[in-house]
Amino acid sequence: MSEGLCPQCREPLTAGAAFCEACGAAVMAATGGASAPGAPPQSDPLDERAPISAATRPARPAPAAVPAGPRPCAECGGEVGEDLYCTTCGAKAPSARDHFEEAPAGWVAGVCDRGVRHSRNEDAMALAASDTPGEHAVLVVCDGVSTSKDSDVASMAAVRAALEVLRAPLPAGLGVSESADAAADQVFTRAAAAANTAVIAHSDPSSPNPASCTFVAAVLAGALLRYAHLGDSRAYYLPDDGEGRQLTLDDSMAQMLMAGGMPRAEAESSPQAHSITRWLGTDAEGVVPTVGRTEVTAKGWILVCSDGLWNYASEPAALREQIRAVGSSDPLTITQALVEWAKAQGGHDNITAALARVEGGTADG
Amino acid sequence: MAEFSATVYQNQFLPDGGTDVMAIVSVNCSGAGQAGTGGGTPGEVIIIDTSGSMQVEAMEAAKAAAIAALREIVDGTYFAVVSGNGAAFLAYPPVRSGPGMVPMSAQTRAEATYAVSQLSSGGGTVISTWLDLAGVLFQSVPQVTQRHAILLTDGENNEPPEVLDAAVGRAAGFFQCDCRGIGVEWKVSEIRRIAQSLLGTVDIIPAPHQLAAEFAAMMRASMSRGVADATLRVWAPQGAQVLFVRQVAPTVEDLTTRRTPVNDLTGDYPTGAWSDESRDYHVGVRLSARGVGQEQLASRVQIVVGGAVAAQGLVKATWSDDSALTARIDQQVAHYTGQTELAAAIQEGLAAKAAGQEELATTKLGRAVQLAKETGNEEATAKLRKVVEIDDAETGTVRLKRAVDKADEMALDTASTKTTRVRP
Repeated sequence: MSEGLCPQCREPLTAGAAFCEACGAAVMAATGGASAPGAPPQSDPLDERAPISAATRPARPAPAAVPAGPRPCAECGGEVGEDLYCTTCGAKAPSARDHFEEAPAGWVAGVCDRGVRHSRNEDAMALAASDTPGEHAVLVVCDGVSTSKDSDVASMAAVRAALEVLRAPLPAGLGVSESADAAADQVFTRAAAAANTAVIAHSDPSSPNPASCTFVAAVLAGALLRYAHLGDSRAYYLPDDGEGRQLTLDDSMAQMLMAGGMPRAEAESSPQAHSITRWLGTDAEGVVPTVGRTEVTAKGWILVCSDGLWNYASEPAALREQIRAVGSSDPLTITQALVEWAKAQGGHDNITAALARVEGGTADG
Repeated sequence: MAEFSATVYQNQFLPDGGTDVMAIVSVNCSGAGQAGTGGGTPGEVIIIDTSGSMQVEAMEAAKAAAIAALREIVDGTYFAVVSGNGAAFLAYPPVRSGPGMVPMSAQTRAEATYAVSQLSSGGGTVISTWLDLAGVLFQSVPQVTQRHAILLTDGENNEPPEVLDAAVGRAAGFFQCDCRGIGVEWKVSEIRRIAQSLLGTVDIIPAPHQLAAEFAAMMRASMSRGVADATLRVWAPQGAQVLFVRQVAPTVEDLTTRRTPVNDLTGDYPTGAWSDESRDYHVGVRLSARGVGQEQLASRVQIVVGGAVAAQGLVKATWSDDSALTARIDQQVAHYTGQTELAAAIQEGLAAKAAGQEELATTKLGRAVQLAKETGNEEATAKLRKVVEIDDAETGTVRLKRAVDKADEMALDTASTKTTRVRP
């Protein structure tokens, strides 16, 4: 196996890349590398300028001994070939793109998964967090539109590009709230634009269905949460006690139907419910996201997710119940459980769930 | 150094519960170089029918053809000339013991040319003895590893089919043989069986004067095969069944029964020597259905040269509940499925016609006309037109012609396996 080529599609790799630009496969995965699948490169120059780190700890404790060569087939235990299919039963070895987890800090984690019915994972997720709980976290999720060709690669490029823009603390403006809001809005607009550029750069211009994806980002700074979105990926605030809230309003047909008075359950199950009205990509009409802010003063969770999760629990109360049912305070354990639960419900779409723990306090930003 | 590449054409999406995966694997070879460049020493045996049925004109043409072929053999190539009738005789080199082939040089070419010019006709046609002598000659020169023969005949074989089959069986996998029939007294099915088993071509040479050019071309083609031997290796997962493996371009050759097991899941199929060329293979695999959203490998199709994998194509299966994905039939798969049926329809139609089953012959040849049109095989259409009156090609409505030139019928038969490629 050549080092300079993607183990999955054999395309040349960019030096230091964690993912293949061509097929989205995680480059470390095939050799059982110690890096958490899907994690950005370990040393990041931005870490030195920003007070937060992308991957200050692995998603799971690193195994004591890294096994040499590819892992055995998950289905039959046979040997997995260089082409990443089992040499005995032909099962496709799950690629790191199909399922990856990130836990940049103990209080922030997420899982991005292919689900059951789709053959590719076109969702993407990128997270960053400060070591100090509640200080600073960034959660970005993009959901690739499955009718277009390179959405899995494009969505991954999009979340990375957006995270790089959002990683540094949001500007405080001139010290007054309006000024800070305007400055933060500008950063979100830049993040969406960077994500859009990344999507376009990773889609085949000759394709009749160029890659496109949704966008949602949440930035927590103390007790102030700012968020922005395009499409139907969502951000929720789910306090441990009291009413939870869906912070983003989908740019979708379902939302339009609800705005017109149709009950949520009926609107979200209508045939056109999942048609989104705004997105990122070559054929997007404007990529300035809808932005918002809220104070998160009560202990609870910030949830950023794709429709693969909320399809099975759309109401904030229902999501909070699922989180509570896990019986854990570890965001990685909870997001793993949420994804497993969505898969058990049918897993009709790719599933992404990312959580940040809010410890409560007063807003100061 | 020869470079191989493999491209897979398929619709990998199967409906829920679907089991059968069909793919065309197009294998291309470039940079093959001249015979012998790949390491093996090439050897050529020219087998000329000198039975009593060879009339003067045919005999002179056969000699001229053999001499034309000698001119094309590259210096250094081991060669021999066999004269065949009721038994096989070594016409050149003039040896009684030791190696039965000599390296080509200006001198041996001149000697062989003279020896061929002295051949005369007489006796019967016992092709098994010709093949066996060619085999003995190749065996006598162990350093020759790329073995090829050209066989010319003009008449039906005078021996029980099982005797010929046994000789073909001894030759299969040892040397390749291109076969040509001159005139109309030979049997296409018999000679085709020899050529197919020995990974060679078969054709009719209707007129003696065309023979020399044909022999020169055949020998040139053989001399351009810089890859001495390659095999097609097909892996299928445990529990799966390889339904068939066929070469579908440039000709249809069913390889299914020619599998040599490598291990429980893998088999090798012979493809012989390669020049700069591309060949297409049609592979069908039956899998156990998996759940919607699952993907698996249905087959690894590899070209193996000298024990090493030179190129690999992956045939995949993904189960989906999106009928827009699963209903599509790959254009290449559809095209070659039609071409394979076309070859069978022509051969079965002509066999039925020969057996006097006119109704069956009309149906089969009608279907052939329809398939030739659908798949754009104009050569087949032109050849069919000489045997049947086409009333409507779209529906395959034809009438058998009353007076058919035997050579036209044989030309249709020998060309039945030739396929056209999908037009871009």
